[in-house]
Amino acid sequence: MELLDRYLHAIEFWLPKRQRQDIIAELSEDLRSQIDEKENELGRKLNDAEVEAILKRCGSPLAVAERYLPPGHLIGPLWFPLYRFVLKVMLFGYVVPWLLVWIGFLIFDPAYRAANPRFAQIHNLWTLWLTVLYFFFFTTAAFAFIERSADAQARLLEDWNPRKLPPVRDPNRIPRFNSLFEIAAITVFNVWFVSLFWPRPVIDLYRAQITLAPVWQVFFAGFLVLAAANTAIAAANLFRPYWTPLRASFRLLSDGLGGALFCWLLKAQVLTGISTPSLSASKAAELTNLINLWMAKTLPWAIVCVVGIICSNGYRIVRLWRAHQAGTPIAPAVNDLSNPMVNGN
Amino acid sequence: MSQSNENHDVFENLRLELRRGCLSLAVLSQLRTERYGYTLRKALAEQGLEIDEGTLYPLLRRLESQGLLTSVWREEEKRNKRFYRLSPEGKLMLKQLSSEWQKINASLNGIL
Repeated sequence: MELLDRYLHAIEFWLPKRQRQDIIAELSEDLRSQIDEKENELGRKLNDAEVEAILKRCGSPLAVAERYLPPGHLIGPLWFPLYRFVLKVMLFGYVVPWLLVWIGFLIFDPAYRAANPRFAQIHNLWTLWLTVLYFFFFTTAAFAFIERSADAQARLLEDWNPRKLPPVRDPNRIPRFNSLFEIAAITVFNVWFVSLFWPRPVIDLYRAQITLAPVWQVFFAGFLVLAAANTAIAAANLFRPYWTPLRASFRLLSDGLGGALFCWLLKAQVLTGISTPSLSASKAAELTNLINLWMAKTLPWAIVCVVGIICSNGYRIVRLWRAHQAGTPIAPAVNDLSNPMVNGN
Repeated sequence: MSQSNENHDVFENLRLELRRGCLSLAVLSQLRTERYGYTLRKALAEQGLEIDEGTLYPLLRRLESQGLLTSVWREEEKRNKRFYRLSPEGKLMLKQLSSEWQKINASLNGIL
């Protein structure tokens, strides 16, 4: 019976102290009855292999003990979706942007690399790790507390109203107001942009005279072309207020090109001189350098924004493509577009 | 994992879910007369409802903590055994659950 005793002892270790003796006595009695019955059937004592087979069928000590334990969890199924949502917000709202900015600085900013040697970089990552760890710990602790609060449970389960639930939003629908606003904003921007920055050797901006590098002509033409493309997409969206894979791809292309052009502009040292009546030549040169420097310094942030915009556009295409694969209609039937609930007016 | 393995796992999970609800009723019904764990298992197995010790004993404890069973340790055949039987509340519960089971069974028979 040594095997049986060892087995029962192993189970006993995991059981709650108060019930230990009672459970083990009962389980022991059951197993001994099984062994007795088998021995009576065979007319001899069981060998170790046969006892082992009985115990293995009964289950591992931990699995057997677990069934006697009260259900144990920090966060139950009721709060878990909210808990996971909070952690996701932390991940995509803080950790991922932090890492993108950090990588952006590492790649595109030599001054940052020089100021933060390898050890300092490890320290930066360690700081991020600690922040994540503290956030994870306090969030888990808060949810574990809420889980055990009867008031909070009751509030979630009983104090709710269908009228207060958020309205259903179709992610493929483009509100017509957004398209109209986009067209108006691009038009106003174009008028301002063309009137002030039409390429010429010296640009008069209010009371200052600004000299831009010849490369500015490329930027100027590029931004105008992109503005025209975006106006065309917005106009199409106004009349067909549902994203299609083609239009979503055009939007990705135009946003990607616009982002690349903007990032290039930040690094291009496009400003070659400023002159105002109240500024000496040396101060003006200093100001010119400073503006170019700060434009270059914002590059990593701009890259993060551009990557974010591209990811959002890319996700839209993936979503449309998946819907297409699943055979789900992206837009309602044409007749339904007259329905104000559908067309967003 | 192959499709047939996956289907087998799904079937096993659903089968266990289906059984879990019935076990309490089966155990309560068998404890109209006093029994200890091993004989209870054998009685259920003889009627086609196999139940392993890891499932039965925690279930008996839960039913007892809910006041549906009473238990007593007693020596029999030179060994200490814990005997269970229905409490008055358990008898009432068994009646209610049996009636519920009949209704579900009748509905399912109609549906299936």
